[in-house]
Amino acid sequence: MTVYWGCVVPTIQYAYEMSVREVMPRLGVELVELENASCCGTPVQSVNMFAALYLAARNLAVAERTGLNDLLVVCNGCHLSLSEALYFMKHNEQLREKVEALLNEEDLTYSGSVKLWHLIDFLHDVVGEKTIKNAVKKPLSGLKLASHYGCHILRPSTLRTVDDPENPRKLDELIDWLGAKSVPYPEKLDCCGAMLLLSHPDAAFTFSGLKMKAVQDWGADALVVSCPSCQNMFDMRQKSAAATTGAKINLPVLYYTQLLGLAMGIQQEKLGLNLNRSPIDELLQKAPAH
Amino acid sequence: MTTLDLMTSRKPDSSLRLRVLGKIGEQKPYNCYQCIRCTSGCPSMKMLELKPHEIVALTRAGFIEELINSGVLWACATCLKCKERCPQAVAPVDLIMALRNLAVEKEVKVPESFLHNVSMILECGFVSRPQATVTRKLEKIERDKMGLPKFREPDEKFKAAFMKALETSSGSSEKS
Repeated sequence: MTVYWGCVVPTIQYAYEMSVREVMPRLGVELVELENASCCGTPVQSVNMFAALYLAARNLAVAERTGLNDLLVVCNGCHLSLSEALYFMKHNEQLREKVEALLNEEDLTYSGSVKLWHLIDFLHDVVGEKTIKNAVKKPLSGLKLASHYGCHILRPSTLRTVDDPENPRKLDELIDWLGAKSVPYPEKLDCCGAMLLLSHPDAAFTFSGLKMKAVQDWGADALVVSCPSCQNMFDMRQKSAAATTGAKINLPVLYYTQLLGLAMGIQQEKLGLNLNRSPIDELLQKAPAH
Repeated sequence: MTTLDLMTSRKPDSSLRLRVLGKIGEQKPYNCYQCIRCTSGCPSMKMLELKPHEIVALTRAGFIEELINSGVLWACATCLKCKERCPQAVAPVDLIMALRNLAVEKEVKVPESFLHNVSMILECGFVSRPQATVTRKLEKIERDKMGLPKFREPDEKFKAAFMKALETSSGSSEKS
């Protein structure tokens, strides 16, 4: 299958790319790179919705050129953008014509053959419980983990999304398959605030800070994410969230693929576990995978 | 953050209203019966007093200039809960995006970073080129030291096509 990395993962959130590249081949999934990919369009939505749609559609066209139908997307924002493009290109002829005229100038064509997957539902629905459980060599037993899905893979359910918009379960099940225990908490659907960083950073850090405080208070050992923008808010900028909210926050935050890699017995440095900025050292020692 | 001051507001502007509705390609806001389900679940309501139902009502009433000038549009975190939960499929977030697009077209109150992103994409195809990061032990490290493949920018033809896309006004994008 082809893989689309987006902007944030290959330019700063390296641990996500490293861990995905480590775990997927071991689960029997060969990842084919896209040539000529660009930004997915999400960062352009507020400025010009048509230009955003064009970016999304051109990446789908770039993926089509490989002849492979299944496309793996690792970022939530990218998943939403491409999912919207699939919808518009199918249901809005006027927009499709405008997009196709521009694609033509890039020698690209669009047929709508791409089947979109986000890492979470691909691991859950396609790779599946049996393969993942078989791949786990060092179960993460004893760890209580809180799941954070991120807004853009759950809503709106009128488009292709990954799980139930109000009661998602897949990431929690994926956590359980590693031998850890996913802990329920009422703030699960709360937003990380990333999309407010550009206009209202204090509010953005209040979003992330309050959520992390809640996760700590419910007794979770760590927060598990699958979106680079959410990871940026919870992990890389955890100190800003603590400073803004005045809360004591010491919460390990990891990508699901980092935990999966740990449970599969992959070396820590190959999973980019030195790059997490949140305090994960204690957790790594506690995990039987160490 | 006051969106509308009735003492100073001008007359409703129906041509601007048409322009906004044209961007979401339909008359959806007219289905709103102000149940306020959007606002009651809006995380930006708690923090920044964003009231999606008010934005819908003010658009219908034609107070578009006021909405654009208030700056309130940039308080939305695009969590999409309003779109998911609206019993009338109004999708206030889509309306907010359309109003933001109009604010850009009219060059009012647009946070600069949004425009910076666009110029970066024009320059290299992405919002950023690979940046150096630091490990937990505060050692500086670059992408090419991590065993990752080389980062590739899109072909030369990309720029011209994206430029044309930006010059195309966002209209009739019928929202899902």
